[in-house]
Amino acid sequence: MKLIKALGMVAALSAGLAIAQDRTSTLIYGGDWTDLITADPQVSYEFTGGLVADNLYETLVKFEGTDLSTLKPSLAEKWNVQNTAQGWLVTFNLRKGSKFSTGREVTAKDVVYSFDRAIQIKGPSSFLFTDVANIKVGSTKALDNYTVQVTLPKTASPAAFLNLLTFNIGGIVDSEEVKSHEQSGDFGKAWLTDHSAGSGPFMLNRWDRNAQVVLTANPNARLQPKLKQVILRYLPESQAQRVALESGEIDIAENLTPEMLKAFSSNPKFKVYKSDNLRLRYIGMNSKEGSPFANPKVREAVRYAINQDEIISGLLLGNATKIQTIIPKGLFGYNPAMYYSYDPARAKKLLAEAGVPNGFEFELLTATASCDFVPCGDLAAKIQADLAKVGLKANIKQIQNSEVLKAYRAQQAQMVLVAWSPDFPDPDGNATPMSDYNAKSLAYRNVWNNPTAAKLAQQAALETNPTKRGALYKLLTELVLKDGPYDILYQPAQNTTFSTKVEGYVRNGQNQVRFENISKQP
Amino acid sequence: MFAYLIRRLFFVIFVVWGVTFATFFISQVVPADPALAALGDNAREDQIKEFRQRNGLDKPAYVQYAVYMGKLLRGNLGQSLRTSRPVADDLREFFPATVELSLAAFLIAILIGVPFGIVAALTQNRLPDVTVRILALLGGATPVFFLGILLLQVFHGQLGWFPGPGRLDPYSISPPRVTGFMTLDTLLAHDFRTFVDSLYHLILPAVVLGSASAALLARMTRGAMLEVLSQDYIRTARAKGAASSRVIRRHAAKNAALPILTVLGGLLGSLLSGAVLTETIFSWPGIGRYVTTSASSLDFPAVMGVTLLAGLTYALINLAVDLLYAYIDPRIKYG
Repeated sequence: MKLIKALGMVAALSAGLAIAQDRTSTLIYGGDWTDLITADPQVSYEFTGGLVADNLYETLVKFEGTDLSTLKPSLAEKWNVQNTAQGWLVTFNLRKGSKFSTGREVTAKDVVYSFDRAIQIKGPSSFLFTDVANIKVGSTKALDNYTVQVTLPKTASPAAFLNLLTFNIGGIVDSEEVKSHEQSGDFGKAWLTDHSAGSGPFMLNRWDRNAQVVLTANPNARLQPKLKQVILRYLPESQAQRVALESGEIDIAENLTPEMLKAFSSNPKFKVYKSDNLRLRYIGMNSKEGSPFANPKVREAVRYAINQDEIISGLLLGNATKIQTIIPKGLFGYNPAMYYSYDPARAKKLLAEAGVPNGFEFELLTATASCDFVPCGDLAAKIQADLAKVGLKANIKQIQNSEVLKAYRAQQAQMVLVAWSPDFPDPDGNATPMSDYNAKSLAYRNVWNNPTAAKLAQQAALETNPTKRGALYKLLTELVLKDGPYDILYQPAQNTTFSTKVEGYVRNGQNQVRFENISKQP
Repeated sequence: MFAYLIRRLFFVIFVVWGVTFATFFISQVVPADPALAALGDNAREDQIKEFRQRNGLDKPAYVQYAVYMGKLLRGNLGQSLRTSRPVADDLREFFPATVELSLAAFLIAILIGVPFGIVAALTQNRLPDVTVRILALLGGATPVFFLGILLLQVFHGQLGWFPGPGRLDPYSISPPRVTGFMTLDTLLAHDFRTFVDSLYHLILPAVVLGSASAALLARMTRGAMLEVLSQDYIRTARAKGAASSRVIRRHAAKNAALPILTVLGGLLGSLLSGAVLTETIFSWPGIGRYVTTSASSLDFPAVMGVTLLAGLTYALINLAVDLLYAYIDPRIKYG
């Protein structure tokens, strides 16, 4: 024991001496970063990859603070959209003097290379460029060193394109640097997995898989960070995060449970930061002919039968926002109105009108995983109990998540309890998948084919006038709410807990955290 | 002896082949689709198709197995479905951390378990023996998960005697990776301070991982010692007037060593493959963590790689134990 103590003292003293001066300029962010696969902006599609890439690379346009509806200049100081006979012409004027960490200037050829790379690399997010923006290699042109023009076909939404450029796939890489690391035509993918070549405020210093990701300030960056270093420390277990946050080993904890959050919110040394995730937790009902949910009145009855408030306050301890329409809070077109309330009597009446006064039996499919803060099984049990009160007998079947998706995608599920996050921060990221049967996404999986909804979604996507676009989304959200195959349960909150020494932490709905704005007090 | 060794090595190969076969076919009957697991909810149909083709998942199971074995014979463990990295690279990255932790836990288990077991045997049914038995019961019955969080909370959170999770202080600079063993790499970098820090970080997780083994070892040592102490030759030795310490060291301990050695071999094997929970709580970047993530994302090549490595390690440890028998007990001869 003495030896251990002595050893401990030596270690603590020596470590303390070596690092004392770095404590306030280094931020230690603890979390379960296991989903990190790559730091390559054009390949990463997971949360942690995005968190890292967002701080290594700059995009042409960006969102600031928590606002996801107003685009702000970033590498581009100006941009405009023209409606021409060939399609939409989107022109960007680059800011002069922006530099990569390599010291080279960011020019139009880097933008062309990065956008073409996003398409050619065929990564998990390439469809944002090829299917959503509908662009190909050659659609992006450098008019001069500081002017870039992208031609979108008439069928693509220029608003959605600009919005998806704020996502890490739109990060601009140093084309010369990346080309010099290409291996057998991989566009530098292997190298960029754990190296960086961006103009963002940080550079990737090292990534010890499952241990830590070390980002250091980029001396050439236009946006100089207040911190010298940010370390993402892998702490997969929330209890370990709690202990480490309390002892000061980490400054920020990413994944605490609702009970821990409650305890930390009443502790003056810590702050619990709540942000809105763009995810929607919902129930999908198969509307196929012959399915018990084919009748819109039955679907409406389900919406009246489930007690949203009890789910949010009782199960989730308040860590969610109540929402009933398909565009989440935080996005343009969000509709905060509450159109129905918990009313089992009304649900029963609707079931009687639909010709099933005694209810029916069906299967409720959900994953064996966790649904936001609680096990999916618990959430499903609550839904089962609520539905039983109006005579609907749900048999819960819990299977591996990929199997839930398999059944759901094949239109084989009667009722599913799942979640959806938009692929890009634009209302169209939800509107088209949820309204247009032919988009082969959520409307298709629930066999809900409503041409009016599909048309409204298309119109709204292409509308460039915000007032008109907003009006179209109001119409669409109300239509889907009344007739659609969904019961939107809630929008989970995203909670981050940190020491009050940490200042400037802001997180938006697409989970972007800009480390350059964060500082740490001694 | 040589012929025996060759025979045993063939047996090791057979075991490892059995492991690949079993794991592969279990992965085939599991109702789960790796493509959907890797690509997620928003994936387009063409992406899924392309993924299946690229990873050979569109072929019948026996073809996939043949392809896998073909690659394996050439030393290629395949590519992770989740990270697209060669599985061998991942194992090289994560296995040393597990070995380092397991060896530390093993050492702690021996240092605690064996002496406690001997003391208990020598004081049968008296206070020290009863205490050891209760401790062994507790050590064996406390779930690793609970013990880990408890020790972390008390010794790091409350008392501050030990560092938190991880292999090094978060503010310290990791040494360049040479062996993957943090203790060795810090020494190779001539960074003594970080070396001490890495040892210090090793203690709590090693105690947690080693506690159940220490308990088992204490019970086994006690049992083996009691058995030996009741033998005629011990009585004879005592009757000859040999000093008590000499009887215990020369006559009893040496004969009790054989069954303990068997247990030790099994223990080391299970420590190496059973560190999942400890690694999760203490944020230890070993293969336990790796295989958990891989299994939950249906990354079968990665899971295969880990089971293969675990099977091989187990078989080799067993072989080493058998060879050690002959060394310790001259009566045992292999031929």
